[in-house]
Amino acid sequence: MLISVTVNGDVFEREVEEHWTLLRFLRDGLGLTGTKEGCGAGECGACTVELDGRTVNSCLALAVEADGASIRTIEGEADQGRLSTIQAAFARHHAVQCGFCTGGMVMSVRDLLQRNPRPTVEEIKEGIEGNFCRCTGYEQIVEAVLDASGQLDAAKGVLRHV
Amino acid sequence: MAARFGYRAPRRREELLALLGEYGERARVLAGGTDLLGDVRSGLAHPEVMVDLKRVEGYRELGWSADDGLLIRPGVTINDLLGDDRVRASYPLLAACAQDLASHQIRNRATVIGNVVNASPCADLSPALLCLGAHAVLSSQEGRREVPFTEFFTGAKRTVLRTGELLEEVVVPPAGADARGSYHKLKRIKGHDLGIVGVAALAEDGALRLGISSCAPTPLLVDGLSTHDPVDEVVAAARAAISPISDVRCTKEYRTHMVGVYVRRALEEVA
Ligand SMILES: Cc1cc2nc3c(=O)[nH]c(=O)nc-3n(C[C@@H](O)[C@@H](O)[C@H](O)COP(=O)(O)OP(=O)(O)OC[C@H]3O[C@@H](n4cnc5c(N)ncnc54)[C@H](O)[C@@H]3O)c2cc1C
Ligand code: FES
Ligand code: FES
Repeated sequence: MLISVTVNGDVFEREVEEHWTLLRFLRDGLGLTGTKEGCGAGECGACTVELDGRTVNSCLALAVEADGASIRTIEGEADQGRLSTIQAAFARHHAVQCGFCTGGMVMSVRDLLQRNPRPTVEEIKEGIEGNFCRCTGYEQIVEAVLDASGQLDAAKGVLRHV
Repeated sequence: MAARFGYRAPRRREELLALLGEYGERARVLAGGTDLLGDVRSGLAHPEVMVDLKRVEGYRELGWSADDGLLIRPGVTINDLLGDDRVRASYPLLAACAQDLASHQIRNRATVIGNVVNASPCADLSPALLCLGAHAVLSSQEGRREVPFTEFFTGAKRTVLRTGELLEEVVVPPAGADARGSYHKLKRIKGHDLGIVGVAALAEDGALRLGISSCAPTPLLVDGLSTHDPVDEVVAAARAAISPISDVRCTKEYRTHMVGVYVRRALEEVA
């Protein structure tokens, strides 16, 4: 089936197989490999992208379902090589170790901060509950989100990892 | 996805029902796909064609009427429900159950109706809909019929839905102004775990209803209780209704014990 999608602002028209997941289309069809496949079953969140303004697990959506939709992936996060506020905070707080979860994690954090610009620690944990990190540990990620949302005060010594 | 299948995305309900009639057993309705695509991936479902209902006009809207209450259509997702102020204000029990389902990403896709049609004994929305006295409207080319949720589930992952039939509306009667609800779900981790035991409680005009998940082949309603009943009697009624099994997640003894714990907690909140 021929589909037309907008990905990170660019329009693509592509022939796709009906049984392709959106994840496979992004990676194999468009070469956007920042979106990862961890579990393929909706559990780990490594495949998180924004579909018409809502975060979804792209392993649990079909490419054909995205016909006419607007998609945002992690490749749309940095602006011409300049890290976004969230990405810079992740780097500052060592919230990235192997990086496999990071693309999906950043997509969820971005979505959370759009809905709730100053989330509490509890709200941050809830916002990333669909994203597993198996190596960094969540402390640094939570700190990065606090920082990205302007809620860390370095003078009070809350910044532990800098 | 290794399995191959065709894909249709009708815009009108008549077209959708015609496709379901035409393909019969060979078609599967695709809503949010959070159960269905997992089943296809693991070889549990083998549809020849996926009939996507999300593009049907009006299917993403919630309906309201003074007489009938809340009307949930097939495209309404868990987060659509949670994002609606009227739902949160009038049906806090429904909102509490919805909030406990999976992660934000899954809630953006998973539909309310897909959750009940999938008929998992641990589905989160079923206990609330049972307590609230909701019913299902089933449509096919042959016509429509109404089935209360107390008669909808026939076994684990089994319902009265026939081949070619669509669950087109869930109708939730208006909630009483003094209704109070609570939901407790035992799980290992929030965000990606099905319930091990779930207890929903609704108190309304002195009447008390319990909706219990993960403790029998189907979600259960325990009805005919009163908020004045002694707590031990309510716990006994709940334990008499369930038929839990031991499985990979816990033993039936633990489930039986935890139903008592959660019923007590629920009563503290609603009675
Ligand atoms: C990682 C993960 C975690 C989860 N956690 C929870 C949880 O904590 N609690 C919980 O309750 N659930 C949980 N679920 C399951 C939950 O996402 C689903 O039950 C969901 O609500 C199903 O809705 P859907 O729109 O995705 O349905 P689909 O997957 O599209 O469909 C499910 C089934 O219903 C049929 N169907 C759908 N709509 C209709 C209709 N209108 N008429 C007739 N048939 C129809 C389909 O053909 C299919 O057989 C989880 C799922 C995943 C992947
Ligand atoms: S790959 Fe999609 S959730 Fe794990
Ligand atoms: S950084 Fe390795 S899984 Fe999160």
